[in-house]
Amino acid sequence: MKYFLKSLVKTIPVLLLITLIVFLLVRVTGDPVSLMLPETATDAERDSLREAMGFNDPLPVQYLNYLGDLVTGDFGDSFRYNTDALNLILERLPATIELAIASMIVAIVISVPLGILSAVKRNSFFDLFITGGAVLGKAMPSFWLGIMLILMLSVTFQFFPVSGRGTLGHLVLPALTLGTGIAAEMTRLIRSSMLEILGQDFIRTARSKGLGESIVVNKHAFRNALIPVVTIMALQTSTLIGGTLITETVFAWPGLGQLLVQSVNLRDMAVVQAATFIIAIFVILSNLIADLVYRTLDPRIKYD
Amino acid sequence: MKKSLWGLMLSLAVVLAGCSGGEESGGSEGEEPVEQSDSKTLVIANGTDVVSFDIHDHNTTSTEAVHVNMFNYLLTNEGEEGFKPDLAESWENVDDKTWSFKLKEGVKFHNGEDLTADDVKYTLERIAKDDTLLEHGNYNQIQEVKVVGDYEFEIITKNPEPALLNRLSRLGSAILPKDYIETEGWEVFLEQPVGTGPYKFKEWKKDDRLTLEANTEYFGEAPKWDEVVFRSIPEDSTRVSELLTGGVDVAVNIPPTDVERINSTDGVSVVQSPTQRVMMFTLRTDEGSVTGDPKVREAIDLAIDKQAIVDSLLEGAGTVTRTRVTPGNIGANEDLYGKSLYDPEKAKQLLEEAGHADGFELALSAPNGRYLKDKETVELVTAMLSEVGITVNLELMEWSAFNQKYQEKGFGEMFYIGYGNSMFDASLALDRLTTEEAAGESDYNNPEVNDLLLAAEQNMNAEERAQQYQKAQELIAEDRPQIYMFQLDAITGINDRLNFEPRLNEMFYVDSITLK
Repeated sequence: MKYFLKSLVKTIPVLLLITLIVFLLVRVTGDPVSLMLPETATDAERDSLREAMGFNDPLPVQYLNYLGDLVTGDFGDSFRYNTDALNLILERLPATIELAIASMIVAIVISVPLGILSAVKRNSFFDLFITGGAVLGKAMPSFWLGIMLILMLSVTFQFFPVSGRGTLGHLVLPALTLGTGIAAEMTRLIRSSMLEILGQDFIRTARSKGLGESIVVNKHAFRNALIPVVTIMALQTSTLIGGTLITETVFAWPGLGQLLVQSVNLRDMAVVQAATFIIAIFVILSNLIADLVYRTLDPRIKYD
Repeated sequence: MKKSLWGLMLSLAVVLAGCSGGEESGGSEGEEPVEQSDSKTLVIANGTDVVSFDIHDHNTTSTEAVHVNMFNYLLTNEGEEGFKPDLAESWENVDDKTWSFKLKEGVKFHNGEDLTADDVKYTLERIAKDDTLLEHGNYNQIQEVKVVGDYEFEIITKNPEPALLNRLSRLGSAILPKDYIETEGWEVFLEQPVGTGPYKFKEWKKDDRLTLEANTEYFGEAPKWDEVVFRSIPEDSTRVSELLTGGVDVAVNIPPTDVERINSTDGVSVVQSPTQRVMMFTLRTDEGSVTGDPKVREAIDLAIDKQAIVDSLLEGAGTVTRTRVTPGNIGANEDLYGKSLYDPEKAKQLLEEAGHADGFELALSAPNGRYLKDKETVELVTAMLSEVGITVNLELMEWSAFNQKYQEKGFGEMFYIGYGNSMFDASLALDRLTTEEAAGESDYNNPEVNDLLLAAEQNMNAEERAQQYQKAQELIAEDRPQIYMFQLDAITGINDRLNFEPRLNEMFYVDSITLK
């Protein structure tokens, strides 16, 4: 618990740095006022809106104002929606979490059996097929996979709805799209981790005790092989969130990813800042949780 | 571990099977005919979601296209047919700065309140006075709205404002319920918007769908649909797939490359219709630039085959033009519309006369990904110009970077841009070419054009004003501070169960979309 609290305190400077970087990036890369007004707007119209929005203050002043508001939990208002940025994000969060969990389930369901199998049947045709498939899965761009899945499973064979959110059927294609890339990564990792463990002495001991092969593999080897996999799964949180940006756009999934893409395009500063802040907290938390799960899986690991 | 793993796989298999069971399965290869239902629910797929219900604080055509079903303007602009009454019964231009209006009686907001002149005053004065609102610039000409009676009011403008009716029949001029907003507050209004239109708000799931339902108390003709759903589907190919599977009835912004595929599928088709956006090059006309020589500008114009670009890149989804004020706009010069000049031999000759027989270099900047086929268009233009000996240094930029440079007026000899015109009037289309506005950008300075534009800006004689704009367009077409390429078409995919006539202003008045 002490370790957990300590780690939480350590995240504060990280978060501060993130706010600064994002704050500067959204301001350096484009002027939101000119993106809000049409091409036909005159200079006078632009200037008056810029003044009214407070963009004429020096950057350090704007940043300090932003930090001051942040401490009180105020992330500012979205220009585009004209409403509280944090609320916009909280509204979208359930959809993204739903998609992330479903994708993770897809990834686990694909990668765990395949990873184990290809390790146990190392160098067989089966192994070659799986590792080859994993490389392919990693190499396929998710927008391409998404569009292909729509064309095959929705347009040609009308199994699933094309886009949107509502029924379980709506969830299948986006979860497959997002889950496949992660499954590819995890399959390879589980395979190599399993191979390492299967070669160790305690496995030989287990076998020499006369234990059945399935108990050796599933109970002795897999549990130990899980430790590095858990780390990767935690690191996949950011991949997962990155993946939602594209997947949600392709499938018109109303989540955080789509919101972030549109907000970046329009330089909707408050939303971009708030969304990256929330995502950063998610990533940090998932890493912490991975640390804790580690200890449960391997009691030898101790933290001071 | 093993048990739970298999359990997990099993449950997923059940979920997958369950999902596919409900849908219609058993399709064969190839495009099947799209189902034609007679449902009284209309589903329209837009590329973006509605931005807000604050009608004054957005400038997005696609958002307004939804709003027009929930709110009403005082009057509507029917292009060549002129202005038609909507909430206003009649109006009159009393003097240069005063307009008097009479409202229809018995119009009710969705919450049951009566529409009165107080609501009009509240609405128009808000947008005219609050400079933080995005549409403020198009309404700050209004000095005041004087309430004369419950159903009578006057609009006083700061200066003579011949385009007032254009302003009152567009984005930002829908009439809001004063009492509702004042008692409940803006927050509540934005969550539960109330208007006078044929459809009322039902539900909004942001970035997913907005659902409207019929307003049975509507003062005009009874609504034709029970429910209308506006979906937000940003990815073009997904929108097309929804249309092909019957998931949506109407899909906007169809990429030209998908037109043939849709038209060859039974049950769906594509309609093409002109929009207000005109693509063009702006050229520097100052003495110091190579394009300062009118012969060079003419040569550039003659070297570009606009019709070929429309045919090859846009698959015909555009109309060539020599003016930015296209038909349907007040002051349009139709003699210059539908025409373009192309004569590479004469272009070479002109360059020779201008002392550029050996060719020359010029800088061309263009946004990449902002307009339909923008990158491809300027690349073709670069090739066409090189045919007559002009070496183009092409600079393609991401939109926000382009926009930054556009504001700083930092481009070289030429830049590519597309202008819309939500005002349906020549004034907005041509004001960049007055001497004052053009300074630093095109540096165009033709005193005759300048005088015509400034005089027309405040001329209350409609006929004479239109002539002034038409004359100015002729001179501009000769001077070429801007070289016009084409007017873009909107490409909309529709299910064949519907009759649909797209409008020039790209609004979806859903009651004009009917079942066959």
